[in-house]
Amino acid sequence: MSMLPGFLVTLRQIFRRKVTTQYPEQKRSKPQRFHGRHVLNRYPDGMEKCIGCELCAGVCPARCIYVRGKENPPDDPVSPGERYGFVYEINLLRCIFCGLCEEACPTEAITMTQLFEMSVTNRDDAIYTRRELLMNPDGTVPHPQPDSILVDKGELRLADGWMRATSPSGRAAYEGIIAWTPTAGVGTRPAEKGQSAESHQSSAISQKDSEREAGSGKREADHG
Amino acid sequence: MSDPIKLTVDGREVTAPGGQLLIKAAEEHGTYIPRFCWHPRMKPVGMCRMCLVEVEGPRGKVLVTSCTTPVAEGMVVHTKSDVVKKAQEGVLEFLLVNHPLDCPVCDKGGECPLQDQTLSHGPGESRFVEEKRHFEKPIAISELVMLDRERCILCARCTRFSDEISGDPLIEFIDRGNHTQINTFPDEPFASYFSGNTVQICPVGALTATPYRFRARPWDLEAVESTCPQCSVGCRVSVQASQNQVLRLIGVDVDATNQGWLCDKGRFAFEHLRAPARLSTPLVRGADGELHEAGWGEALDLIASRIGAVIAERGPAAVAGLGGARSTNEEAYAFGKLLRGVLGTGNLDASLGDDPGAALLAGVPHRATIDDLERAKTILVWGPDLKEELPVLHLRVRRAATALGADVVVVHPRATGLDRDAAHVVRYRPGEGAATLQRLAAGEGDLAAVRAALDTGPVVAIVGRTGLAESADLADAVAAFALTLADAKVMPVARRGNVLGAIDMGVHPHLLPGRVAASDAAARAALAAAWGCAVAVPGRDTSGILSGMADGSIAAVLLLGCDPVADHPDRKAAAAAFDKAPFLVSLDLFLNESNRTADVVLPVDTFTEVEGTMTNLEGRVQKSNRIVPGVGASRPVVEILEDLAARLGGSIGAGAAAIAKEIALVAPAYAAVSWEALDWGRGRDGIVVAEGPFTHTPERRATDPSVGALTLHLGRVLYDGGTMITAGPSLARLAPEPAAHLHPDDASRLGFAAGDRVTVTGNAGSAAMAVAIDPTLARGTVYLPFNLGASIGNGLEVKVEK
Repeated sequence: MSMLPGFLVTLRQIFRRKVTTQYPEQKRSKPQRFHGRHVLNRYPDGMEKCIGCELCAGVCPARCIYVRGKENPPDDPVSPGERYGFVYEINLLRCIFCGLCEEACPTEAITMTQLFEMSVTNRDDAIYTRRELLMNPDGTVPHPQPDSILVDKGELRLADGWMRATSPSGRAAYEGIIAWTPTAGVGTRPAEKGQSAESHQSSAISQKDSEREAGSGKREADHG
Repeated sequence: MSDPIKLTVDGREVTAPGGQLLIKAAEEHGTYIPRFCWHPRMKPVGMCRMCLVEVEGPRGKVLVTSCTTPVAEGMVVHTKSDVVKKAQEGVLEFLLVNHPLDCPVCDKGGECPLQDQTLSHGPGESRFVEEKRHFEKPIAISELVMLDRERCILCARCTRFSDEISGDPLIEFIDRGNHTQINTFPDEPFASYFSGNTVQICPVGALTATPYRFRARPWDLEAVESTCPQCSVGCRVSVQASQNQVLRLIGVDVDATNQGWLCDKGRFAFEHLRAPARLSTPLVRGADGELHEAGWGEALDLIASRIGAVIAERGPAAVAGLGGARSTNEEAYAFGKLLRGVLGTGNLDASLGDDPGAALLAGVPHRATIDDLERAKTILVWGPDLKEELPVLHLRVRRAATALGADVVVVHPRATGLDRDAAHVVRYRPGEGAATLQRLAAGEGDLAAVRAALDTGPVVAIVGRTGLAESADLADAVAAFALTLADAKVMPVARRGNVLGAIDMGVHPHLLPGRVAASDAAARAALAAAWGCAVAVPGRDTSGILSGMADGSIAAVLLLGCDPVADHPDRKAAAAAFDKAPFLVSLDLFLNESNRTADVVLPVDTFTEVEGTMTNLEGRVQKSNRIVPGVGASRPVVEILEDLAARLGGSIGAGAAAIAKEIALVAPAYAAVSWEALDWGRGRDGIVVAEGPFTHTPERRATDPSVGALTLHLGRVLYDGGTMITAGPSLARLAPEPAAHLHPDDASRLGFAAGDRVTVTGNAGSAAMAVAIDPTLARGTVYLPFNLGASIGNGLEVKVEK
């Protein structure tokens, strides 16, 4: 008879709401700041935003970015300014999707999208070059995988701007002020709200802070 | 500098020599004062105001610029007080008012003093919201330098360098007030041999170098300290590379040699390392008479069997080796050991007949070091135009003349770069050198004042070949005369990178490694015991080898990085010798005029690709280091020669490091030299090898040949037709057009005007070129730049016809 309570547990679970998502037919919504594959943006006039400064490569903790600049041809410039990113490669097998490249970029040329379906059958294909990274002049982004149930190309349009939802210096005074440049195909994205306004401080930020404290406390306990 | 002075810096008592500037005294005691305009090798100006410090005085504390204030007894200095910080923030805010902040596209970004000091001392935020001053973005002020006036902070480092150090004041401030800008003079490019230094010392990205433009960012670069091989001064350089490619060279501040400066040839000639024409596989001449790519084994087997056959048939004296002056000491030693020991021939020479002679170079008594110029009262320069051949030595002599008060005496057939700063200039016609020396020694006539000047010691006499048409005996005679002067030292100079090192390593028929006379049977026996094989008796030198090739007595020749057909002063004789086509093996970077007819051409690793030592013109041994691999299948010379020696039944040592140790054992002069001491000990200053055991007593045996109405002055120019220059895109276009330079009197006597096309005929051919008028030339002289355009030979007799 002692097996009855066990069956009871199973029986109760049958009527509960299922937690499994039927990926890829169904997809869970991702957090707004989700770090997926990178894209190199253009300005609405078609100019590339990348100026080949290599700050992304310099800051990359996984050292997966390789950039080389070249002088812009004066009569047909690729980017505003004197130099453009002549070679741009990201080894996505090595990338840890930390997003520091976005933060380092002085022109918002490199941003991360929400698309993370990037499986390849060949290691070389995981090295994205300018061909895969650079958006087309109309704002669409080339992606090596064919259109399929796995690849939702709409996610590639979620690039740009999000990492700077607040201001570059993080001051509440810049709340709601657009601090990024327009992008081809998208135009100027609206300013993000609700991150740092005084009214939200009590809920959003203090909650975050308390989480962080709890987390660090736990880590200390683990080590202790 | 006088007695030591005590002062207080930030509450610490420090001592500094009297007269020292506050900024330097503080730095030597660990307090870095931020600065932009002050440079330790130039006079202070106090332009940028960044080095403001507070000094306590009778009327309270005052802000002074520490770069213009000498230390004083009892001085109390504050470098980190609130007032100083406020001043620094203010200065930086002003400096940034018009600075475009285009750091992401600026080549200086990442290593920029303005960036760094704004971060460490700046205010963080600017109050200026006004439109910045705008100029046209980078303008090319020369083939090598770009100027971006928006970025300039007007520190005057470049203008002071050009004026004080290089003596080519081609860049200057123009306009006033807010419109002040740096620029060149209209229609006058910044065509200085030293322009690259202004790029190196610019504290912002206002001056950038075209060859490095947008090639990499500072954090991409790996660096290694090395020694420039372009001439025999031996400047210390920091070789900076990324992705296995050398991208730039930066001068390293070493007291003994270059003091931080480089010439543009040394700085930019690295481009030849990755030139498309560079050889990357061994080439072997096939049955069809063309060179074909081959494997190393095939090429080396062929060399071994053909040389073996020559030795078996005609004896080792039918084999000869030329070159080594572009190689490291280890490579030259291996070359000498292969020829003398393994092959058993005494026919080997590193000198191509364009230097004052191996005996004078290696055996001069009382050899001067470059640093002796700092103490010299009188400097006699009777040799090449230093600015054209040894540019950084020119800067050192110029410094002695302009900053240290030495009297410079220049003897040359035409104006040299030093004339403007020289106390006495003597012109003579090539071919009348011995007579001129006679008159100078006796102090006759107009040379009495010059002779009197030479009596003030210490004297440093820089002697070399004034021109390649004149005999090398003249340099020997000048050295002999200089040694009769009181308190005199002699610096024999040759241009070719490591020629003294190669001679010291025994690549000379009459010298064994370590400056030992090869005629000494006991020395040869000692060396044979060390090598474990017989050591050949002295054989032929370069001219002997060339004539041997021409008459067929030499049947196999090894060339180590040398191109006698282009570089030998008597190009006709060299070409005739190479036309005879003996079995020719060339170890080189490129196909050139000499090895186009070679049977085997082997690609070698070179500067920045091999580790080794170099000996500069004063006998200073310095380390050269590796940072990139060679190209394609190229290999280090020592490995190639070892493989070849093994196929011929001998051995020369495995690897450059082992050979370096062997050199210290067998070469007496090099006993104190080791890679360890150079890397970890006094690495930067190198080790000056002791004189001897071989000594040479210069003699005044030079006589003047009888010459006709016109004599030839065959001088070198910095950018000539040499492979290192022509293979790189930046320097190749700087080579001047060859022209026949004539004194105006001669030109009018002969009826020529500037620009006329004439035919110049010498002892070995004639060439068509334009006439240029040069009033600084001695009368009766035709000046032609050597190794530019067609050669007419190196005889003194010359004819100029329509």
